[in-house]
Amino acid sequence: MAVRALAWLAERSATPVYIACGQDGDAMAARLAQVPAISLQHSIRHAAILLVAGPYRDADRPALRRLHDQLPHPRATVWWGAVPLAEAQDAVTIAQGDHPVARLRRLDRNLLRGERASEPDWLPDEPPNEWRGKGDHGQGGEGMMGGVPYGRPMAMMGEEMRDALMLDAMTITIGPFLRTLPPGLSLELTLQGDVIQQARVVTPAYPASGGASEPLLRAARMLESLGLPDLARRAQISAMRDSAEGLLAAARRCGALLALPAELADVRARLEAALRGGTAPDPGEEWLVDRLAGMEWQSALLRIASFDPATLAQIAPAAEPDEDEEDGDEKERAA
Amino acid sequence: MGALANLILAMAVGAALLLPMLWWPMQLGGASGQSQQVPFLGGGSQSAHAWQRFHIRYYPMTLLFIAFEMEMMFMYPWAVVYVETGIKALAEMGMFLSILGVGIVYAWREGVFRWQ
Amino acid sequence: MTAIPLVFALLAAGIWFAAIAERFASARRFPSAIVLAPLWQAARLLSQQRVRTEYPDALNWALAPLVYGALAVAGLSVVPFAPGLVVAPLDTGIVLWGACEALTIVAVFLHGWSANSMLPLIGGYRFVAIGLPAMLLSMFVLIAAALPAQSLAVGAIVESQRSMWNMVRQPLGLPLFLLLGLAISLRGPMDYGDASDLSGGTAAEVSGPHRLAWGIARLAMLTAFAAMGASVFLGGYLGPWLPGPAWLALKTAALLLVLTWLGCNLARMPAPRMMAALWLVLLPLSFLDLVIAGVEALL
Repeated sequence: MAVRALAWLAERSATPVYIACGQDGDAMAARLAQVPAISLQHSIRHAAILLVAGPYRDADRPALRRLHDQLPHPRATVWWGAVPLAEAQDAVTIAQGDHPVARLRRLDRNLLRGERASEPDWLPDEPPNEWRGKGDHGQGGEGMMGGVPYGRPMAMMGEEMRDALMLDAMTITIGPFLRTLPPGLSLELTLQGDVIQQARVVTPAYPASGGASEPLLRAARMLESLGLPDLARRAQISAMRDSAEGLLAAARRCGALLALPAELADVRARLEAALRGGTAPDPGEEWLVDRLAGMEWQSALLRIASFDPATLAQIAPAAEPDEDEEDGDEKERAA
Repeated sequence: MGALANLILAMAVGAALLLPMLWWPMQLGGASGQSQQVPFLGGGSQSAHAWQRFHIRYYPMTLLFIAFEMEMMFMYPWAVVYVETGIKALAEMGMFLSILGVGIVYAWREGVFRWQ
Repeated sequence: MTAIPLVFALLAAGIWFAAIAERFASARRFPSAIVLAPLWQAARLLSQQRVRTEYPDALNWALAPLVYGALAVAGLSVVPFAPGLVVAPLDTGIVLWGACEALTIVAVFLHGWSANSMLPLIGGYRFVAIGLPAMLLSMFVLIAAALPAQSLAVGAIVESQRSMWNMVRQPLGLPLFLLLGLAISLRGPMDYGDASDLSGGTAAEVSGPHRLAWGIARLAMLTAFAAMGASVFLGGYLGPWLPGPAWLALKTAALLLVLTWLGCNLARMPAPRMMAALWLVLLPLSFLDLVIAGVEALL
């Protein structure tokens, strides 16, 4: 009874959706941005439905499985212009040209009422790394150093690039479905604190679809990282209508350009051009990963988001040309 | 004493009102498997636990912060007697603040506010 | 004792009001019955699973929203609703409020730390860098407000504004104080804890009822902050015709609107730049505010 009452109340709120953008997924997300009944979330933990928008690559399958299992229950997956994975049972598919809002709302309602069962995990129920726990608490080592609690090792020390302090370096992979990165781009970052020491492209961004609305969609992603979600949504809606009118003035009023420091002058120029609906040329001589070294998190994301797809394809190709030995050692140790 | 008791009572009520949300009994749907517990990185993964000796780039700033916090302790009683003491109190605090101001300029020159 | 229900009534009304104001400011008008929208959102979060991460610091993770909420209540406890109508009539009200600000930084940090995940952890650490200097600013402007009152009690500061509000007398005070409000309630240009570039920062791994508790605690802190700002700079319960609590509620609502609008319409600069701006521009401005207040109090 109580569950029924709760569902009755809950189904009146907007449906929280995490959109995993495949090819052209950015433009598809923009179509949802103008629908008030759908709210696009930045974290999968805040969503009820995983929406896979547009075709994805084979290389993205493991990431998609991981993402799906991270959804809180009750949950569901919708394939919008994408082929469902074999694990997906009773898959909800929508053609790329169709508008998914009605289906998403109905699915959401059925989940809340318990009329549709929440999806089970796709990955096996086991620790992500092999369990090798030793010691009193199974941490497999002493103190903070070493050991693999929960099948994962603790961060190890590495030299800091600026002051040569020996502190923990942490290697993570982000993307390819992180909303603040261009769709498809996945990076392996070695972080010390929130500063990037080293970066490597795991998978490149999806190639440009050639739409005229692309600069505005890119501007929207940058505005999100600048903490202006409403203006970002306005940019997405403008992209759908193919008119950037008033957008630059609005961004100026919010201080979007002023907020970028002098070190990010290139990002500022690209944001300004994108808000006008154009693209600032970039010589594209330096690799993306070299441009990220030593940058703090928000600045790095802003810089990545500022490149147009053509430049990004040029400076962040799939395989890095010369992977130095140190990188290889790093991976051996992690393995 | 009464003020303190009231304060603690009010805080306890506030915490008690939020507590049920962290112990919420009604949960729909399936069980929480180990693959659900993997940290969210937009499809990516991390090779090690996030807990680490984080490089706090702003640590010199926190030292400067402590200097100002200590100053704050002197300012509390100063604020109460300020009007009685008059212009002398203003001059004293002006000197104190200008010394600390020089500290800020020095810290700035040393690059304390540059995230490294 | 009689003021305790008033505190919770103001908090509940403030949380509701701020949640609605947020929807209006962001032009996100769904559903159409916007007054009930916060209730529906709460029901949605209550019907969602509370996710647990790998090896979290479970105790601190649950404690963080509780501490955050309790601190909001503690901050509001020193704010008088009418002469003598206050939960904790402390002579050192401003000092207690300062302690609440400082401990808020600890609560937000713990929330980011406990999930054992990279994005929340960065959010927690980054917030400390901005929270500390922002807190310094607010304490300077609060002490400036205490000068004409010759007391650290919030009630005395309100009484000292019978002839003129501190907002007029110390024009720099309120704008600087509002910055802290944005910081401790993790909002807009000062949101370095729960920012969207970190996919929700300290709340990135939080779902369901836990996220609801965190959201309520954030709005409670915002409300407590607005009530404090209204008392120190806008004359609190002072005003003609209406009773004291009504004036306090009206002024709190006005500040909530201002804060919500600022939160939605200002860009967030990268943290290192904000830290430098706080120390090099805004802190000297707060010194100036202190000088203005000091000279004015002696005249």
